[in-house]
Amino acid sequence: MPETAAQLKMQRETRISHGQAPHTLGSEPLAPMCWQLRGEEFLLRGEGDHYFYYRKGDGIMIERGADLDLSEESLWLNGSVYAAVASINGLLPIHASAVAYADKVFAFAGPAGAGKSTLVAALGNCGLPMFCDDTLVLDLSSPEQIICLPGHKRLKLTAEALSLTAASREERVSQTVEKFYAQPPAGHIRRVLPLAELIFLEDGPTSAFIPITGGERLTRMQDDHETAFLFAAARQFAPAEQFGHLTRLAKQIKMSRFVRPRTGSSFQEVVALAAKHVTDAGRD
Amino acid sequence: MTAIRKALDQFVETDIDDEVIIMRRDTGKLLTLPGTAAAIWRLIDGKRDRNAVIGALADAFEIEQAAIEPDVDEFLLQLRETGLLADG
Repeated sequence: MPETAAQLKMQRETRISHGQAPHTLGSEPLAPMCWQLRGEEFLLRGEGDHYFYYRKGDGIMIERGADLDLSEESLWLNGSVYAAVASINGLLPIHASAVAYADKVFAFAGPAGAGKSTLVAALGNCGLPMFCDDTLVLDLSSPEQIICLPGHKRLKLTAEALSLTAASREERVSQTVEKFYAQPPAGHIRRVLPLAELIFLEDGPTSAFIPITGGERLTRMQDDHETAFLFAAARQFAPAEQFGHLTRLAKQIKMSRFVRPRTGSSFQEVVALAAKHVTDAGRD
Repeated sequence: MTAIRKALDQFVETDIDDEVIIMRRDTGKLLTLPGTAAAIWRLIDGKRDRNAVIGALADAFEIEQAAIEPDVDEFLLQLRETGLLADG
């Protein structure tokens, strides 16, 4: 059940209907696999004639073309469409997977392939439930703290990650994505929680958590993932407003780097160190 | 000597931990000033001239003025070239 105004808003704004969607928000036709965002409207075209149209207050309209792969539809809906709806409604989606401990969220950020989902799944074996996979939506409406909305996506893992984490394998994600849905070993957390720490995953020869301080905290928030582009397109901040936004995040979010080797032989040791970091920090 | 003034309409700034972070309004480019650079920046208050900045910095770090003059002059020149100081 939704607990907060932000959750209620997302539940309301992501309701789905089917029908004919506009095919452009401008004068030029929208190419496949592209999106447009204008004010309070968002339009995404998937493969072929598969359109997703959102207008604030009206929810999401899906127009399905011929030869549709429904497994792809859920990926679009839970990916770019959800992030766009969140952004248009003042929420901040960031590219991160997270676990919960002691009623706080510990999020792991990094580019695609950095190992976010694998680490979150493996931390389930240490008793840490998953909070979200791939996208973490932040509610910035309270000046005192940053609140995280529980994840809306199912955990997706590669065959190798399933083998490393022993997470229970479910169906394949889609024909085009070589990943499988999986159940996180310690289950999901479904309630809003404050953000405790944002941890950036990096490769390196030895495992260590290194605090991020000073100006680097601000530059780290300049993500180059599509979620950041959607937020920027939705908010249309002037440079000074963007600076104020980033400054707030930099000052309120504790950040660190988690440098670790990516070899299979070191995996359990790396996971144990991450679990210790989260549980130690959670007790503070 | 003339007081050194920041070009306040050209940038926004904030402190995070002990560093000063400046963003140019026109380009959005970020500049991080750590340590001594942050200390010099904070001493530029529109009243101090070059000698007063050097004197205050030398007092704060308990070092001879002559030892820091070249570095302060170079840093002030960089700030001016970057457009973060007002003319005059």
